[in-house]
Amino acid sequence: MNPQRKRIPKIEPFKHRVEVDPKFFDKSWKKLDDAIREIYNHNASGLSFEELYRTAYNMVLHKHGGRLYDKLAENLKGHLREMGKLVEAAQGGLFLEELQRRWADHIKALQMIRDILMYMDRTFIPSSKKTPVFEHGLELWRDIVVRSPKIHGRLVDTLLELIHRERMGEMINRGLMRNTTKMLMELGSSVYQDDFERPFLEVSASFYSGESQQCIERCDCGEYLKNAEKRLAEESERVSLYMDAKTADKIANVVDKEMLSIHMQRLFLMENSGLVNMLINDKHEDLTRMYDLFKRVPDGHSTIRSLMASHVKETGKILVTDPERLRDPVDFVQRLLNEKDKYDEIVSVSFSNDKTFQNALNASFEHFINLNNRSPEFISLYVDDKLRKGVKGAANEEDIETVLDKVMMLFRYLQEKDVFEKYYKQHLAKRLLSGKTSSDEAERNMLVKLKTECGYQFTSKLESMFTDLKTSQDTMQSFYANLSGDSDGPTISVQILTTGSWPTQPCATCNLPPEILGVSELFRAHYLGTHNGRRLTWQTNMGNADIKATFGDRKHELNVSTYQMCVLMLFNSTDTLTYKEIEQNTAIPPVDLKRCLQSLACVKGKNVLRKEPMSKDISDSDAFHFNDKFSSKLVKVKIGTVVAQKESEPEKQETRHRVEEDRKPQIEAAIVRIMKSRRVLDHNSIVTEVTKQLQARFLPNPVVIKKRIESLIEREFLERDKVDRKLYRYLA
Amino acid sequence: QHKLGRGSRDKVQQFMAITGASEKVALQALKASDWHLEGSFDYFYSQPQISVTNSRHLEDLYSRYKERDADMIMVEGTSQLCNDLLVDPQDVVMLVISWHMKAATMCEFTRQEFIDGLQSIGVDSIEKLREKLPSLRAEIKDDNKFREIYNFAFAWAREKGQKSLPLETAIGMWRLLFAERHWPLIDHWCQFLQVRHNKAISRDTWSQLLEFVKTIDPQLSNYDEEGAWPYLIDEFVEYLTENGCVQRNK
Repeated sequence: MNPQRKRIPKIEPFKHRVEVDPKFFDKSWKKLDDAIREIYNHNASGLSFEELYRTAYNMVLHKHGGRLYDKLAENLKGHLREMGKLVEAAQGGLFLEELQRRWADHIKALQMIRDILMYMDRTFIPSSKKTPVFEHGLELWRDIVVRSPKIHGRLVDTLLELIHRERMGEMINRGLMRNTTKMLMELGSSVYQDDFERPFLEVSASFYSGESQQCIERCDCGEYLKNAEKRLAEESERVSLYMDAKTADKIANVVDKEMLSIHMQRLFLMENSGLVNMLINDKHEDLTRMYDLFKRVPDGHSTIRSLMASHVKETGKILVTDPERLRDPVDFVQRLLNEKDKYDEIVSVSFSNDKTFQNALNASFEHFINLNNRSPEFISLYVDDKLRKGVKGAANEEDIETVLDKVMMLFRYLQEKDVFEKYYKQHLAKRLLSGKTSSDEAERNMLVKLKTECGYQFTSKLESMFTDLKTSQDTMQSFYANLSGDSDGPTISVQILTTGSWPTQPCATCNLPPEILGVSELFRAHYLGTHNGRRLTWQTNMGNADIKATFGDRKHELNVSTYQMCVLMLFNSTDTLTYKEIEQNTAIPPVDLKRCLQSLACVKGKNVLRKEPMSKDISDSDAFHFNDKFSSKLVKVKIGTVVAQKESEPEKQETRHRVEEDRKPQIEAAIVRIMKSRRVLDHNSIVTEVTKQLQARFLPNPVVIKKRIESLIEREFLERDKVDRKLYRYLA
Repeated sequence: QHKLGRGSRDKVQQFMAITGASEKVALQALKASDWHLEGSFDYFYSQPQISVTNSRHLEDLYSRYKERDADMIMVEGTSQLCNDLLVDPQDVVMLVISWHMKAATMCEFTRQEFIDGLQSIGVDSIEKLREKLPSLRAEIKDDNKFREIYNFAFAWAREKGQKSLPLETAIGMWRLLFAERHWPLIDHWCQFLQVRHNKAISRDTWSQLLEFVKTIDPQLSNYDEEGAWPYLIDEFVEYLTENGCVQRNK
């Protein structure tokens, strides 16, 4: 054995040269080149995927990735150019089909090529930052086929042409369209947008510009909108069938602009068919369509709103200022309610209860209702009418409830709620005293509604009116229980009214007939016996009486007012009296006396007196005779109820004057309240604050506020600041 | 407040004896000179208003005009005073004098008012007062004094116990006051009041009118509706506009 040193084995490269086949790349490439050709020729079945893959793999391994990539690109370009020529050659309708076919081929081919070159995709591509095979294939298609000068324009034109034809009513191949646009999308969203979407939108804009121009000459508003709606639906369907979903909004905007936005004013204002016409004729369907269509149009809804508001204000103004309408207050209010119903329905049905529309409506109503300063009075008369007889037809609780709720809506619009209060009190008093309320329940309901709306202050006096009547009933019972002796005389029923709760009436003179005087004095004694320190004053202008009267051989029972009773009782001692004699005897004020005599002598069917001469008006020289020829089918005849009527001009002035007087202390109280808490405040702020505090009842007049401030300065509640004369200071 | 020590009281007495001035003036002068007698004389003689008045003379003067059985000068006495001064009782200088006297009511002066007033004017005889009349009248031309006199006039011209000034009196006073201080709209104002407003004038309206005269030009170009002027003045502006007396661009 050799005692040689042990050798560590070394690995060395081959010392001999390894022959690298110089033709290795070309040979390998040729294999792939041929394979790709076969693929494009639809001959892929004869190929071995494995072998091709391995070939590519080896090429990359041997660091030929770059060359392979470039060769591939060249190869693809070649095929694409050929395909492009085929597409160019296609005639007419076959153009798109050919393009589709080639595209499908290309995609399929790319998939296979990608699979074959997978190794390169995974290793060489990322490190060299080149585009992966498939994507690169798409880019090439885009550049060489789609954007080839001979194809590109024709492609876009064809697509647009087809769309145009479809718009004009023709049937087109939608599948083909879809595939084409899908192809564009797959090439990249910017390709779709630049090459198709943008021209599409431009062309659509001019199409709809023309369409709308024609349509608006031909159609009325309703028809036009129907057409617009149809077109919008069409476009939406079109997009869903063969375009990218993102195009939907864009085309909708185009149609909105061309068909709706540009012509908006003209449409709305179209004579005999525009918005106003639709409102007047309750064209709910058209209005709904208009509302829906103009939802997206800038200023669409606000324009509709303001046109509606001014229309409502105008028609409302006519309603409240038309002298014909003003003759019947109940009718006046009924029309307002009808108008409100009409518009409520429109807003609910056509405008989806849109709050902004409801608000605009409210503002309009508030505006015109207050144009007529008799609105508060009339609304009160309307309520009076309803509570007096009940709603015509079905007079049940619910119906009255509904009507009253609607009336409350009108009430809310009133700026002068204190005027309403005054009239309501008057009318309520008349109802209660004549016993003419149809339902106590309904009266109380109304009070509750007013209380909810305006607070306790508003209704406390009204409520005490009810209490007075209740108490009066009890008093009457005790009176008759204690009455001994003569029960032959007339029976009286007295209602004792607390001053201050009931509307103030001037105390008029009236001589009661002796029969009545007796029993009424008995009552007075009885009452004052139990209520020390009180004072009773007979309100002769508010009572009524039942009289048994004999005319010839007919007996009737007459229900008359107290005044009328006084007059009639005079005829017990004589058949004829002159006006002057009656006036002297009864001491009733002339205005009331004349009205009273008119209802006794000049009304057909109620003429228990005969007047000489037979004219309608009462003059001082007239004479009155007991009319024994009077006849009536009814045994009980009602003459002249004290019905609430709308006031005469002087009465109205009087009421308004009283309202103004009532407002002064309220304004002063508000000023003092405000100044007490703020201590120092400038003039305009006071006016604003006072208005805010009082607007639930009425709108104070700034001039009146100023006068009240000056009065308060006089009385040393306030002083002007020495330096700034616009500032006021509270004096403790 | 005047708790004077013996030394100070002596000084006051000395001062009064030497200068003949009143106690009030003495106190003023001594206080101003920090209770140095010498300094107080310097002070006194350098103040032109504090001229020499003799208390005895003033008492005599008062007695001449006062009522026989009341400690007041009333209408008769005032009338006599005007005669002696050779002025018309309606002369505006009487207003100025009353203002100096801080008189509470027109044509009435209490002893205090009369004496203190004449002292502050710096006279103690009718002749001296007569000499002073021109300068007194001239005080109206001074802005600050005019304002004080104007505002003083309201309470002075009132009836006792009344809060407001009767219209006739107010118009008379305004004419008097604005005769010296020219206000172009005075005639319109008086006419307006007589035609449109038949009630008394409140103090606020009275004092605000002066502001109006001073700040608003006769063409009303700088009148502001939001200016919190009394409503009477607002109405006056309306009146002027209606009657074409002014051109207002709204």
